Amino acid sequence: MDHTLTAQERALAARCLEIARAKGAQKARVTLNKSCMDLIGTLNGEVDKVSHCLDRSISIALFVDGKFGSFSINRLEESALEDFIDKAIATARLLEADPCRDLPDPARTARDATGGRELGLYDEACLAMDAGRRLELALGASIFKETAPGDNWTLVSEEAEYSDSVFDTLVMDTQGLSCRHTETSFEYGVEMTIQDSEGNRYSGYWWNSKPRLAELGADGICAVALERAVAQIGPQSLRSGKYRCVVDTECASRLVTPLLNALGAYAVQQNNSFLCGKLGEKVFSEGLTIMDECRRCGETGSRLFDSEGVATTEHEIVSQGIVNEYFINTYMSNKMQMPPNVEDAIRPKVKPWPKAGLDREALMRRCGEGILVTGFNGGNSNSSTGDYSFGIEGFAFKDGRITHPVREMLMTGNLIGLWNSLLAVGDDARACKSKLIPTLAFENVDISGE
Amino acid sequence: MIYDRQYYLDTFGVTERDIAELAAEGLRSGGDFCDLFFENTSYRDILLRDGEVSSGGFHIDYGVGIRVLCGEKTGYAYSESTDMPSMRAAARAAAAITAGVAAVGDRRTSDHRHFGRPNPAADRYPMLQDWRTADVAAQLPMLQKLESLIRAKDARVVKVIAMLSSQVSDILMYNSFEEMKYDTRPMGSLVASVVFAQDGAIENKSVSRSFRKGGEMLTDALLEELASQAVQGIDERFAARRPKGGRMPVVMGAGASGILLHEAMGHAFEADFNRKGQSVFSGRMGERICRQGITIVDDGTIRGNRGAVNFDDEGVPGQYTVMVEDGILTSYLHDRISAKYYGVAPTGNGRRESFRYNPIPRMRATYMESGEGSAEDIIASVKKGIYVDQFANGQVKIGEGDFTFYVKSGFLIEDGRLTMPVKDVNIIGNGPQALADIVAVADDLKIDDGTWTCGKEQSCPVSCGIPTVLVNNLTVGGE
Repeated sequence: MDHTLTAQERALAARCLEIARAKGAQKARVTLNKSCMDLIGTLNGEVDKVSHCLDRSISIALFVDGKFGSFSINRLEESALEDFIDKAIATARLLEADPCRDLPDPARTARDATGGRELGLYDEACLAMDAGRRLELALGASIFKETAPGDNWTLVSEEAEYSDSVFDTLVMDTQGLSCRHTETSFEYGVEMTIQDSEGNRYSGYWWNSKPRLAELGADGICAVALERAVAQIGPQSLRSGKYRCVVDTECASRLVTPLLNALGAYAVQQNNSFLCGKLGEKVFSEGLTIMDECRRCGETGSRLFDSEGVATTEHEIVSQGIVNEYFINTYMSNKMQMPPNVEDAIRPKVKPWPKAGLDREALMRRCGEGILVTGFNGGNSNSSTGDYSFGIEGFAFKDGRITHPVREMLMTGNLIGLWNSLLAVGDDARACKSKLIPTLAFENVDISGE
Repeated sequence: MIYDRQYYLDTFGVTERDIAELAAEGLRSGGDFCDLFFENTSYRDILLRDGEVSSGGFHIDYGVGIRVLCGEKTGYAYSESTDMPSMRAAARAAAAITAGVAAVGDRRTSDHRHFGRPNPAADRYPMLQDWRTADVAAQLPMLQKLESLIRAKDARVVKVIAMLSSQVSDILMYNSFEEMKYDTRPMGSLVASVVFAQDGAIENKSVSRSFRKGGEMLTDALLEELASQAVQGIDERFAARRPKGGRMPVVMGAGASGILLHEAMGHAFEADFNRKGQSVFSGRMGERICRQGITIVDDGTIRGNRGAVNFDDEGVPGQYTVMVEDGILTSYLHDRISAKYYGVAPTGNGRRESFRYNPIPRMRATYMESGEGSAEDIIASVKKGIYVDQFANGQVKIGEGDFTFYVKSGFLIEDGRLTMPVKDVNIIGNGPQALADIVAVADDLKIDDGTWTCGKEQSCPVSCGIPTVLVNNLTVGGE
């Protein structure tokens, strides 16, 4: 069944703009979202849950007499919308005027996203999905019934989910903008929980997600999750000290996200970013280059426009440690008197360094001895100062090879210092993620343990 | 707030016959139980930035979720329209669980009737001033006043963002046991995020209050309280250092430290994790898990509290549930599914984010009851350790019980006295072990009224609390 936006629904978005103008808004932007997800959850190789989710909503940004408000509703009958917009305009009028609020310059908006499928992220296989096929996919990858206990562990549970989704977004404004993005997603994820001979439980998670069903490849995912659980048996604490750390691609985005957040104009404008005043400066190691590879056909996370409809561009956000830009939308551009660009990093990728082709094992060999971080457990970073402290899980390694799992360890420092102690950047980011952060290696990282 | 039955039927444009027919439709192809959850939520917010309340809006979320249970297995679908054809389609989609279960040859039935009666007398959140009809123009000066109060209290304030958000949800529930429940749930939240500058250094602090109350919660006293808290401890924040890390005793201050109780222990008491054998407390019912004198509860009955429920989202009355009594594990937190599995009455913990989600066991207000010591004596008993008064960003691994918490602010304890302020470190430990390592509990239980939101699969408003306690051995991250 086709769950993308119908012509009638798209016409409704245009109608909202007409209503808004008729009722007194000088400018308006409408975002129409529609999504459908079917999910089958399994527990120990049997169906545990089925769900069907179909959502539609309209969000409208209103510019009324120099004032601004944003509103949304999921009742799409035209009569309900008229009343909704009427009340929305009345509410916007109660707020204080803000001359910085405006729609983006039409010259900056995307013109190559009219049909929604330009990026090749929509798979018509979703049209042929039925309950039988979903059951086959959800149950076919299970290994619960065939998994024999190990020497020192038994399998407690296998909890998995298969889902397929369609997302369709249309953005229109009163300056003639009309952008559409349509994509499908097929996903399988599983958590395996085991118990060792002393009664301790360990869990391992693994997943895959693809815009095209044929590329999903759910077979083998349960085995990887089980392997990740078993590998954690018998963890030991390490002594506190400074270690070389290799941070696995599966969790490495935790160290990049705070940098990207600190580049957001909302944080900078509020003096709440440790990267305030750093534009154009070399802040990090020359090994750090972050690109935005946001216009790649068929690649998860690609987008041709942001939420304002502004066209995305492929470019370097950080080049060899130099901060090239803040993420500045129209509002923040006017507020900060700085040129606008795109409101966020769309599909950031950390460039391999010092050479391409390195993976996790290669980075461990380069480091020789240290800690392989495979997951973060809690923690935070201070947006104003860049100081961080994260709980970590993973393994100690020596001579480039894993020796034993570690537990109750903390990684502490300052993000600027950490990124200046970068040793190497791998080339092994998983394409199923929207942030392409490969395995990273750092030296002199403060680790607290025993 | 509970209006009369017809108000809710009219809100959703249905009759009692309609909803009975839908429940029957859900069970047409099998299944043991079907329930309907109608929701109409109005959400409003206004935001002050750079001294002006120049953005705001409202959002409307409307629909019905339909669930069909087959033993412990769940079929779920929802409709954003409450016309009968759309709702019938959702009921049929939820009923697909019966086909799925049949396909793998595991079909169970039960005629067990679950606990739960209407009890309007227990209204825990009467709304004197309905947010939906409140005058937005009158709320703008409240945010401006809050900013003025904060700036007046500390000259180092450089930026203030203040936000008032409110929501009211009309809820109608019906199930195949012919139980009908209805409820109107208000929530108001006031948040201030403040940036301070001193000698080139920057610090930030965020404070909040959230209640299941109407517009009457916005008082001058509330603004004063929030403004005072926003600037409290900033001298220490600028002076704070990272301590030397390692294993040491940790004193958790009364109030917001209760989030550790929620994350590190509370989740492991949720019955779904235990039913699946995934919790570190699986199979330990009736065992001693901590010292005598320690009692941990999950409470949905605190009037006006963010975690209060007249009924949970399965129509079960809100309750005061003792999970640990005098050190003994006495109850998990149940929804209807787990209650049936364990052969006990549901505890009123079946909660959900909205009609888009099926209910699962969730906490409400989770706290430890007061002990008999004093906070001063507890601190005085520590030769070298850490005192924590504000945690953030906790995370726990349910199976292993391992947790990590970020310390926003606290102090070193040296020779029984609070000395150097500390910040930006983590505390790491194991939930059951930390519980067993609690060696002193003060008599100063405080429930924190911040905007706590639990993120287990779905977002759910909760609150937490704890008296001052001493955990004698945790790992503290540091230099």
